[in-house]
Amino acid sequence: MKRPVALLATAALMLGQSAPAFAYLKFGTSVRGQQVTLKWAQTPVRYFVSDSGVPGVTSSDLQNAVGRAFATWTAVPTASITYQLAGVTSASPGADDGASVLGFRSRPDLDRVLAQTSFLVDSSTGALVESDIFFNSIFPWSVAAAGEAGRYDLESIALHEIGHFSGLGHSALGETELISGGGRRVLSAEAVMFPIAYPSGSIAARTLKADDIAGISDLYPDGDFTTADGSLSGSVTKDGQPLFGAHVVAFNPATGSMVASFTLNAQGQFSIGGLSPGPHVVRVEPIDDAEVDSFFNGSQKVDIDFRVMFFDRVVVVPKGGDSGAIAVAVVRK
Amino acid sequence: MIRVASVVWLLAGASMLSASPASAQSASPAESRFELGFGGLWMGTESLGSKTATETTGSGAATPLFNSSSELGSAFGVDGRIGVRVLRSLVAEAEASYLKPQLRIATSADTEGAAPVTATETVEQFTIGGNAVWYLLGGHRSPRFAPFFMAGAGYLRQLHEPGTLVAAGSFYQVGGGVDLLLASSRRFHTKGVGARVDVRALIRSKGIAFDGGSTTSPAAGVSAFVRF
Repeated sequence: MKRPVALLATAALMLGQSAPAFAYLKFGTSVRGQQVTLKWAQTPVRYFVSDSGVPGVTSSDLQNAVGRAFATWTAVPTASITYQLAGVTSASPGADDGASVLGFRSRPDLDRVLAQTSFLVDSSTGALVESDIFFNSIFPWSVAAAGEAGRYDLESIALHEIGHFSGLGHSALGETELISGGGRRVLSAEAVMFPIAYPSGSIAARTLKADDIAGISDLYPDGDFTTADGSLSGSVTKDGQPLFGAHVVAFNPATGSMVASFTLNAQGQFSIGGLSPGPHVVRVEPIDDAEVDSFFNGSQKVDIDFRVMFFDRVVVVPKGGDSGAIAVAVVRK
Repeated sequence: MIRVASVVWLLAGASMLSASPASAQSASPAESRFELGFGGLWMGTESLGSKTATETTGSGAATPLFNSSSELGSAFGVDGRIGVRVLRSLVAEAEASYLKPQLRIATSADTEGAAPVTATETVEQFTIGGNAVWYLLGGHRSPRFAPFFMAGAGYLRQLHEPGTLVAAGSFYQVGGGVDLLLASSRRFHTKGVGARVDVRALIRSKGIAFDGGSTTSPAAGVSAFVRF
């Protein structure tokens, strides 16, 4: 079995890292010329925890924090993925040994990367074989229940990375501002999978949002998810031409929840799954709250020169089906 | 509710002022057995509430992204009924209606500057239910002008455009109005024809309901009837 390493993602802190996703919320890989969604073929997914800690966080603390983060993903009622602690190991995350390891590593060269997830993929099927997560030990970490000023919450960052570990890409549901000296500061976010972390001390990202839940449920549907929920699809154009990389948000006026996707092909098409049946409002915006390469690889030309706008029709998501394609025309800034 | 009752009492008062002595005409509600009616129905706007799209700050607080406000717009439709007299003053009716109100969701105050928009969708609404209609003054004092109270309930089915999703629920209504006998006849087994005007408070449960609660709207109907 050929098992080429494919380092696909990711990180959280001021700048996201390159994440060549072919589909929103889900990573992809090419198998015999076909794009395949990257996911685990079997569950529970077994993982090891590194036996080394950092100041303020023991190996036991690490094990407990990532255990809580795994449990949060497992608790999604509409998703079937489960995880299992296989043991404590002296191996470091990043070694291509067939074992998925989570632990600390010192990476001073990645001075804006809090953590990163890497993958080993079965090139014949596209299935995940191994996924490692390292937490960058050059940063101060905390496992305090209420958070700790000046230290990054390990459980929150683990929750984000385990999303990648499971096959999810980044979400663009968040607002940021540029800060002096480079980078961005998060003002607000509505997805754990937003590529930029909250400031140190925050524990706000310990809770999954509707966007995260839709994503993991789409990857690993459980129960009646595929028949009870629906999707919304369509295309976005500007000046009559398909627009690539637009961020499309489906807002549910009954619940207030938001789930989003991107236009992902040359036809400017998008599809948002995991939506509750019912009327939705569609909002389209450029990706201007994070680096574009947090979502797409550098070879893809993403157009961000257009105004944020709402679609002027209510879009109804049917139960277990699709809304039918809508056509949204945006205007340049 | 108060407004509806006031209208009914005004109508009742008018009927007493214009009442003619009880006559032998056979088309009064008290003396006809069946009634068929068909006409138009107007339903007022129903507010479906508002909801703010929020994102979470680092402190865990919610901060608004934009606001939304939803309503089911007023609409005209058609309404049909069949009534059976069960007591001198009481008629039991089966009623069905069909309307096409517009669902409107207005967005505003977008923090990223998106222009306010009212997104719309046309909904098909079907109802079928029953009413108890109680004629004032025994239903026989004025065969030409018969005021009444009504109360009813039924099943409601709302179909989103383009037939992709059904929202079912129930409705309750109370109101009143007046039957105006326009002509009496014994031909073709009929006992008379006339017109009805009524006003109602329509209380809807479930169906298209964003906050999970009930909604109330005014409604009014004008119809023609034939009595047998």
